[in-house]
Amino acid sequence: MDFASNITISALFQQALVGLSRTTILFIVASGLSLILGVLRIPNVAHGSLYMIGAFIMYSVNHFFGGGQAGFWMAVLLSPVAVALISLAVERGLFQYLYEREHLMLLLFTFSITLVFGDLVKMVWGSDYRCVDLPAAFQGFFTILGFPFPRYNLFLIIIGPVVAFGLWFLTNKTRIGKIARAAAVDREMVGAIGINVSLVFAAVFVIGCFLAGLGGALVAPTQNIRQGMDHAIIIEAFLIVIMGGLGNIWGALLGALIFGLTDSIGILVWPQFAIVFPYVVVVIALLFCPKGLLKSTW
Amino acid sequence: MRKRMWFPVFLAIALAFLLTGTAAQAEKIIKVGIVDTYTGPPSTYTNDVRDAFKLATDKINAKGGILGKKIEFVTRDDKFKVDIGLSAAKELIMRENVDILMGTINSGLTLAISDLCEKEKIPFLVTFAKSEKITGEKGNRYVFSMNENTAMAGKAGAAGLAKKPYKKYWIAGDDYEYGHAIADSVWNHLKTLKPDVVLLGQSWWKVGEPDFTPYITAMLSAKPDAVIIATGGAGCVPFLKASVATGFNKSVPFYMHTATEMSTLAPLGLTAPEGVLGTSNYFYYFPDTPENKAFVKEFKDAYGRFPKVGALYGYITANFIAKAYEKAGEINTEKFINALEGMSIGSPIGELTVRAFDHQVMFPMFMGTTKKVEGYDYLIATDIVTIPGKDVMPSIEEIKKARGVK
Amino acid sequence: MVKESILSERSAWKALAPWLAVFVLLLLAPRFLPRFQVYLTGLILTTGLLAVSLNLVLGLGGMYQFHHAVFYGIGAYTVALVITKTALSPWIGFLLAPVVSALFSLAIGLICVRLSKLYFGMLQISLGSLVWAVVFRWYSFTGGDDGIHGISVPGIISSTDGAYYFSLILTAICLIVMQRIVNSPFGRSFQAVRDNPVRSEAVGINVKRVQLTGMVISGAFAGIAGSMFVVIEGSVFPELMFWTLSLEIIIMCLLGGWFTFLGPMLGAAIIVLLRTVVGIYTEYWTIVLGLVLMLLILFLPQGVLGYFLESYKRGGGKAVQEER
Repeated sequence: MDFASNITISALFQQALVGLSRTTILFIVASGLSLILGVLRIPNVAHGSLYMIGAFIMYSVNHFFGGGQAGFWMAVLLSPVAVALISLAVERGLFQYLYEREHLMLLLFTFSITLVFGDLVKMVWGSDYRCVDLPAAFQGFFTILGFPFPRYNLFLIIIGPVVAFGLWFLTNKTRIGKIARAAAVDREMVGAIGINVSLVFAAVFVIGCFLAGLGGALVAPTQNIRQGMDHAIIIEAFLIVIMGGLGNIWGALLGALIFGLTDSIGILVWPQFAIVFPYVVVVIALLFCPKGLLKSTW
Repeated sequence: MRKRMWFPVFLAIALAFLLTGTAAQAEKIIKVGIVDTYTGPPSTYTNDVRDAFKLATDKINAKGGILGKKIEFVTRDDKFKVDIGLSAAKELIMRENVDILMGTINSGLTLAISDLCEKEKIPFLVTFAKSEKITGEKGNRYVFSMNENTAMAGKAGAAGLAKKPYKKYWIAGDDYEYGHAIADSVWNHLKTLKPDVVLLGQSWWKVGEPDFTPYITAMLSAKPDAVIIATGGAGCVPFLKASVATGFNKSVPFYMHTATEMSTLAPLGLTAPEGVLGTSNYFYYFPDTPENKAFVKEFKDAYGRFPKVGALYGYITANFIAKAYEKAGEINTEKFINALEGMSIGSPIGELTVRAFDHQVMFPMFMGTTKKVEGYDYLIATDIVTIPGKDVMPSIEEIKKARGVK
Repeated sequence: MVKESILSERSAWKALAPWLAVFVLLLLAPRFLPRFQVYLTGLILTTGLLAVSLNLVLGLGGMYQFHHAVFYGIGAYTVALVITKTALSPWIGFLLAPVVSALFSLAIGLICVRLSKLYFGMLQISLGSLVWAVVFRWYSFTGGDDGIHGISVPGIISSTDGAYYFSLILTAICLIVMQRIVNSPFGRSFQAVRDNPVRSEAVGINVKRVQLTGMVISGAFAGIAGSMFVVIEGSVFPELMFWTLSLEIIIMCLLGGWFTFLGPMLGAAIIVLLRTVVGIYTEYWTIVLGLVLMLLILFLPQGVLGYFLESYKRGGGKAVQEER
């Protein structure tokens, strides 16, 4: 194989852009995971399932409204909300009794939830592949430096910073965010000053899961919605969160950026080994920064 | 005290299970065990195999069964995992005492079960695993393939591509056995048919890759005349999607083995790209014969949906089993195998024959291009060319070479 | 003095007798069990040994060994490759399996051991996945994603019963050795490291070295379990070292009780049995498994065997004390 014979500046730029749009999805999912890990200390394996459910609900809602602009926007708004409601039920019904348990037990518990959700998705949506059609405004592509760039991917690139800003605002400027950050460091102290920690935890859990649903809804139009989506995303999300620093939103953003960019540029430079890039990146990052790239809350 | 009781109860239940086998009812029925993937993306293919198999066996049983015995079947879900499937196959053989095993869509698992069946002397009729090793390099007396394989698909694809004017190719596909096998097969045959083709490069993505945009842009930067896409199953839909989103389908023609199958095209609706070259074993709208129409009607009446390619595999498997036992004259494995070797039956797509040497059913391949057609909610294959089974089968010499026999 | 030693000997026998009985029962199992159940018991022993070996680092050492399956897979592949690719005796393969697994364990351990908890676990998943990717892609050597099938093990252990006896005897030996390790000075310092690494460091235990040693020992036993898998199934495939399997093993440990020695074995038995039995009746067995797991976690946080031992101590423990 002629190594890297077809690399031009414009092709590199193009791949970087494509990588950025992938970064958005990864960031949205990973930041939710990171939030839950940082504040609640739950390694939530079920995050991937919620992402998958988000994508399936996106399909159903879009289908219900007959597609087009209305269907798309309704679906993008409703499906994360639906996922958030599901997670609220799970949190109030089950998790709130488990916060004091060993982390590994929580990992096992969330894993059993993925088993249940996996089969529930199979029962509800069946085994056929599902697709969401984009509204006309998002179809087609722009030509950038001679290469096509899908319009929807540009939309994703814009969404990424918006979500990042929203999260920053939420955790730094709102009361609940401040309480949550304090609870992440010392939950007993926060409880001692008369704040209902349990409710704060519920809110954080729901917000994190909302992000999983949002990620699923946004990714739905770019791929086929199917069972098994949960497995593919969860390991990547965990690697990103760990690489960036547990519980650090900016770490999740940085991790997602590194992940998305090495992946897409790696495909151009050395396609035969694309399968190992994400793992190699994490290994290198953790070798140099054993606690993640940015400061972690643990 | 009561709290502690459940633990011995659990042990007792487990022990009871360990101690019981199923009573042998082998006298009255013919038992078929199906191990297949009913969870996860592959189940969109496998459900049809099972449903059509049931359809055919119901019909056979209604007519009084085979040699006066009814066919019964049990299914086990392998979750696309080799260890679970292998365990299930052993359970079916040792505990359920099945006469015949069927399945699976996972090539690795199929090879493992094939080896097990050779040891246990149980016929294994493969429905959907497409590795050419199953009846090629690793073939044995007990394994039969009831679907096409990567060698056949590749040969058909090469035959179609050789007629086109393209010279510079790019190959891309799923980075696992299926992808590589199909790409190698297409490329090797294409090179024989048309020696002046050149390969500009290849890209391989991990199985289940969610987003193909980066790969497509990488391919575009190499400017090939045509691209051979060797992706199967769940990868087809997102690839077609990404090709529309990037305009790839308009700038570069490409061939993809299962592109024209309903499992791929139906989810995309009318947004699928037109003009994609693909091969398949079966369409419910082609061939336009009374046999096929009758089968489609039967299937649709029973399940309320159109049969996909898996339905053909399940349907003919049941009919092969029935005819082979009838020819054997008794329920005897060795006689069943002897009878099945070289056997022909009628099917919705015409007569099909099991090649005696390697136990591969000689399927014709239908090559067509995707197109929007009035009256369908999704794209269908048009301009279908039938490549007869004998032309796509690997030669017996090739099989012998692969098996290392002289 | 004399009296005391006789007494302790007698109580040692008393403790040992049930285990001997279980072993004899298992030895006789092929006499009265149907073939499938014999196979299944062998599979449970293999999976159980794997889970117990993980628990050496997870339960005893408190390390987040998230990718234990890699060492299992390496053991299995070592045997498979020795048999199919070399002219060496298959028995050499069985001897090599724990050695190769231990070496990989050492290599991965050297890189990971600087990290702790989740970071340790995720780095291990990354490194293990690199090994998996190599096996998955190296078609000419490892058979790629299809794996290697039809591995012909020596005749004496190739039948269902032969494979069963092989796994039973190896499991018994391994369990005895592991039990010894747990109760050795090393085992105690490993436990001390788990409970309080800072203090252990202060009293002169080389924490990293103890942890690394633990990983290597555990990896070697996982390699033995892998070689047993080859004997029982005659196949190897890359899924044996995929991260989902690792997660399953962790679950077996937690389910059975990760602060008990044999709990993981019980956890493995429960998972394998549930999968097989429920799988016979419905294709939706994962939902059943998921619900059972959720209930167990909600009501038995210390695991099944952990719970059992605890209630034994509360109820039956008194009787034992009175006897003394």
